[in-house]
Amino acid sequence: MRTLSLSGRLRWMIIAVLIAVLLPLGLYSYFRSLKETRELLDGRLAQSARTLDVMIQHASLDVLHRPEIGSLVVPILSRKAEEQLMHGRTYEAEVGYQVLDMHNRMRLTTANFAQLPLPSTPISGFENIFFDGYGWRLFTLVDDTNNVVIRMGERDDSRRDITHALWLDLGLPQVVGLPLLALLVGWAVKRGLRPLNRLRQALASRAPGSREPIQLDNAPRELQPVVDALNTQLERWEDALERERRFSADVAHELRTPLASTMIHLDSVKASDVSPEAWSALTSAHSGLARLARRIEQLLALARLEAGAAAGQRTDVDLIAVAMNVIDELAPLLGESGVDFAFAEHNDTLKIRGYEAAIAALVRNLIENAMHHVPLGGQVQLAMYRSQDAAIIEVVDNGPGIPVERRAAVFARFHREAASSGDGYGLGLSIVQRAAQLHGATIELLDAPSGRGLRVRVAIPDAA
Amino acid sequence: MHIILVEDDLQLGGAIQQALERLSYAVTWLRDGREALLAMRDQTADLVLLDLGLPNKDGLEVLAEARRSHVNTPVIVMTARDGLEARVRGLDAGADDYLVKPFHVEELSARIRSLTRRAQGLAANRIDVGVISLDIGTCEAEYRGKRIELTRREFSLLRILMERAGRIVRREHLENSLYGLDNAVGSSALEVQIHALRRKLSFDAIRTIRGVGYMIPRDPT
Repeated sequence: MRTLSLSGRLRWMIIAVLIAVLLPLGLYSYFRSLKETRELLDGRLAQSARTLDVMIQHASLDVLHRPEIGSLVVPILSRKAEEQLMHGRTYEAEVGYQVLDMHNRMRLTTANFAQLPLPSTPISGFENIFFDGYGWRLFTLVDDTNNVVIRMGERDDSRRDITHALWLDLGLPQVVGLPLLALLVGWAVKRGLRPLNRLRQALASRAPGSREPIQLDNAPRELQPVVDALNTQLERWEDALERERRFSADVAHELRTPLASTMIHLDSVKASDVSPEAWSALTSAHSGLARLARRIEQLLALARLEAGAAAGQRTDVDLIAVAMNVIDELAPLLGESGVDFAFAEHNDTLKIRGYEAAIAALVRNLIENAMHHVPLGGQVQLAMYRSQDAAIIEVVDNGPGIPVERRAAVFARFHREAASSGDGYGLGLSIVQRAAQLHGATIELLDAPSGRGLRVRVAIPDAA
Repeated sequence: MHIILVEDDLQLGGAIQQALERLSYAVTWLRDGREALLAMRDQTADLVLLDLGLPNKDGLEVLAEARRSHVNTPVIVMTARDGLEARVRGLDAGADDYLVKPFHVEELSARIRSLTRRAQGLAANRIDVGVISLDIGTCEAEYRGKRIELTRREFSLLRILMERAGRIVRREHLENSLYGLDNAVGSSALEVQIHALRRKLSFDAIRTIRGVGYMIPRDPT
């Protein structure tokens, strides 16, 4: 489902409410005014008939009393001519009338009513008739005292013109007004929600790791509690992160110092004259200690990765420079272990956006892993290059490799490949995996090009 | 040779003192930052081993203040704190090298030798790395006690590598040091020199880290 913005939703709701209220009201007043207009026009028609009746009574017209004269026809101007004469008085209705005597003979008629059939027995009242191609509203007045019947009609379309004009006057402003109203409502809603927008901007422009509380000038009453709650949460979050950082630094310090003294004591004992049995036991203790030290480093690195990524900012990272630093740190391993290490042909720089410490941990663990799985005299090669829209970090070794069906399992934390030379380097792969995750990178375990060994390929996409 | 060891952890301090004395260094062990600064100002030591987390005065402050008062004694910083940042700050404050705890005695003594080599090497005119030794004054080299003849370039190359034994020296650095910015020299010139050196010493005496550079192991064969 498409999500509407808050302002969009508010705007449409307000418009819907307006329509829901205004439309019935408008329809009601439309029909009311239609009815009123009809009654008004009916009244006018009746009034005209009565006026004519009174005029006839007082004028004692000859035509009424001397049938031999025949009926009198009153000419009617065409509508057009009338309009020209009256300067566009559009409500001039098309009317007509007939005056009959008591013997139902036509005595006086307007030209347009000359052909109107006479009623068999005239009855006073209104009726709707169809005549001469038009609908008419006809009023019949039977005046017994005056001995006349007056029929006065008004063409329906004239009446309709009037109601149409009325409808236009009433409805047009609404039709034009609604879009304008929508525009104004939109503007008002947007303006009303401006504090929300300011809050959004304040949140977006906040630097990661910043401890500054969010401040919103003139925050409305509804928003201030939200801002306060946000600030409390942010503070707790930053505190937790800070504690985590400090904790891992403290743990590092607390673990490394006793480890260091034990290691040096062991070295010292080994250097003194000891029996061959003692020497071999010391050597085991020594390598056990080295493994412990390495595990601790890896766990700390993993903890740092988590804390660093939560608080840190991506920066420009030069993969080549990072690799060179890692290689320098690993110099004793690379130069003295009897494994041939090479950094394949590479450019001077290879830049990505990311977390430098995480990339360093990734490269370091990939190399260490490979170095530890390769037998004496084996080869390990690091390669870094750009491929389409990703930076590639690749480590190839010619060790025993990992069977295809077991490749998925090696990424489980603490997993150890059975064929490895004894050190648990599964943790190293967890670090690689987590560091890759932070960069949206993919890791593939592939066969080495030579057919023997493993090729680990990490692809870090450019846009992330 | 006199080393000032500054370490507040009793066990570790004791262990290091013992190990260094076994290697025939004279060791003064201090446990406090302020004392350390005073001792460094005397300038009687050949080298200072400085822990960063110290009571009274932080190791980095001690180092920075000592450097401000023109104490030029080589300093190796020891840290149990986390990685990169501490190291970078240590080097910025004027440390010559750093060690992250835990470390082996070999590692420590290699770093000490490397630094004192540079500082003292000129005075003693000798650099020793395992079975290889160089006499800087006479430009003579010995391998397994036997004198070997080196050209001037070979000698320079070996000296750079030996001063940094146990560490990788970048190709570009070697090329710049040997040939300056002379672009006319082909890229294989360095390899020719290395090859020549290997023939005079042993193949494994100089390790190639392809794509990066060369190194002489701390204990070459």
